[in-house]
Amino acid sequence: MKPAAADLFVSVVAPLHDDGDIVDAFVDETMRMLSEGYTNYELVLVDDGSRDDTVERASAQLRRYSCIRLIRLSRRFGQETAISAGLDSVIGDYVAVVLPDSDPPGLVPALVERSRSGTGIVFGIRRNRRGEPLWLRFGAGLFYGICNRLLGFQLPRNSTHFRVLSRQALNAVVQVKDRTRYLRTLSAYVGYGNQGFEYDPVTRRQPPRHKSVVESITLAINIVVANSTRPLRLVTWLAMLISGLYLLYMGYIVLIYLLKPRVAEGWVTLSLQSAVAFFFLFLILTVLSEYLGRLLGEVKEGPLYYVLEERNSSVLIADEERRNVVGHSVESDR
Amino acid sequence: MQATDLDSIVIGGGFYGCSLASYLARTEGEQVAVLEASDELLQRASYVNQARVHHGYHYPRSLLTGLRSSLNFSRFIADHPGCIVDSFDHYYAIARRGSKVTAAQFARFCERIGAPLEAAPPEVARLFDPQRIERVFRVTEYALDARPLREQQRGALSRAGVSLSLGSPVRRLRAVAGGVEVSLSSVDGERTIRAARVFSCVYSRTNRLLAESGIAPIPLKHEVTEIALLEVPPPFDRMGVTVMCGPFFSCMPFPPLGAHSLTHVRYTPHAEWLDRADAPPPDPYALLDRFERRSRYAPMLRDAIRYLPGLAECRYAGSLWEIKTVLPRSEVDDSRPILFRRDYGMPRLSCLIGAKLDCIYDVIDEVRADPARQTA
Repeated sequence: MKPAAADLFVSVVAPLHDDGDIVDAFVDETMRMLSEGYTNYELVLVDDGSRDDTVERASAQLRRYSCIRLIRLSRRFGQETAISAGLDSVIGDYVAVVLPDSDPPGLVPALVERSRSGTGIVFGIRRNRRGEPLWLRFGAGLFYGICNRLLGFQLPRNSTHFRVLSRQALNAVVQVKDRTRYLRTLSAYVGYGNQGFEYDPVTRRQPPRHKSVVESITLAINIVVANSTRPLRLVTWLAMLISGLYLLYMGYIVLIYLLKPRVAEGWVTLSLQSAVAFFFLFLILTVLSEYLGRLLGEVKEGPLYYVLEERNSSVLIADEERRNVVGHSVESDR
Repeated sequence: MQATDLDSIVIGGGFYGCSLASYLARTEGEQVAVLEASDELLQRASYVNQARVHHGYHYPRSLLTGLRSSLNFSRFIADHPGCIVDSFDHYYAIARRGSKVTAAQFARFCERIGAPLEAAPPEVARLFDPQRIERVFRVTEYALDARPLREQQRGALSRAGVSLSLGSPVRRLRAVAGGVEVSLSSVDGERTIRAARVFSCVYSRTNRLLAESGIAPIPLKHEVTEIALLEVPPPFDRMGVTVMCGPFFSCMPFPPLGAHSLTHVRYTPHAEWLDRADAPPPDPYALLDRFERRSRYAPMLRDAIRYLPGLAECRYAGSLWEIKTVLPRSEVDDSRPILFRRDYGMPRLSCLIGAKLDCIYDVIDEVRADPARQTA
């Protein structure tokens, strides 16, 4: 069932973390886009344990605009989990994921149209990485190369979180039970005719925030481990190879022992073999520990995140009663 | 007692006002009058907000409210034959995410308050999205038809000899020797009646009446609420569904209109305000009439379809708008207390604001325990 354009319900999910400086501008721009383009819409802001004035500023916006919800997570869970919390809660026929500091909400209607005309998921590809440090650009290139060529999973180059999902595709994404969630690879995984579009990211914050080297490398390792078992397979091959070599080496030792009456020297071989053995041993341990950690993470029971509270829009109802009317603050109980 | 015309005056012809007046006249043998502002009994909250005969299931986080509700259930059913609609199965579904109780906690709660509970049959459980619903229970909870209830109350009033004045809005109250003087407008202009006791059962407009009478308002919270009406396809037409316990929804028969009502914790309240002591309280009904009624049935239904995909086939059939008035303190702990203030603002004036219909028994207990009456 495909609803008519006028009957379309569009949801926008935006994760917030210490975004007090840009949340006003972002909400203004998004609400202008939504109210001009649609009759039924909602903006779901997910606060990921901000420590600045993000919650206060977002709550003030709830009193200015209707159809906004603010979901506060109980602590910082990370951007991906915050997006998941938003996706679990949205009710729209189409949902757009928009990062407040870099994505232009004005493109959402065009993306929704593309999603409606056939494909379920439309994802953003940044046209350029201008303004990013050199190491990040180089590292990103290397990362995408390794993923696509060596590790065998499709991660479109320079794809971003900015995307629109149909209800059908969203339901599929929400059902994936992985605890470590990367929306970009999840939506590639569920399929639904992934389709990219190029856009120029905006810089709503000056200077823009970048991930640190450690954060970037952590993210890269996590994405690889979540999406590919090839490194583990590589370890299997390596381990087999080394044990084979050692088997040969043992034969060699036995032969020497049997054939030569007097065994001495051998400093070079001894130190070389222990060096080689330890090198591979630790390499294997590295990869195993990574997968073991992932296994532990996935086995862990309990919710992915905890919601502290949910706040809804409450625009004041009439001017003369304004001083008497309070905001519709915390979700009441059923 | 020469100064008064009547023993008791009950202001407000809703369910509480009518039941209380009948009780006073029948059991206490008093001379009683009911003054109702509109042209009909049980028009507003008693009609719109009360289609559910509570059995306690609704309050899993307030054992006391649940227990009282469960105790009153059978009594209410027995006292109001012909008003109870039980021709459908009622299911409570516990949401996986965002619910304040788990299915196991809910089952334990129902056991403790003695409310019957059983697992829903598989063909019903299948209607729910297993990703979003942890478990579905069949419960014993009915719907209420306000139309026969109205007739029943009218009959009870006349049998008990209560004098009923419709179209008689009360303007203000004044303390007089031996009782209270009530000024009301009627077709022949403003007139006054005196009674030994006055009960205000005017619900949303309580603070308007108090303010006009120079009495400090009670801190109350008002909400403009929307109930969406749906024509639902089978098998939902023979079902009532309530999703617990948080920002969820309820879809159950609304007998007076032969449709299903859809209410949503997040979308049903459109606006709210608090009556404060330092400002004149606005008239809730005037505010409701002026309120820009932009229906939110679309988000209500979209959210409901996430849990019950089959509801996508239903048809929207309009909305009911009403004011819901609650005590601010019940927000915190899920309880739904009734308000009963004896001698509020002036001697012999009692203010009561109800919540659920079956709490009427608690109100009558309170009235019976009136110390002034026992010493008189």
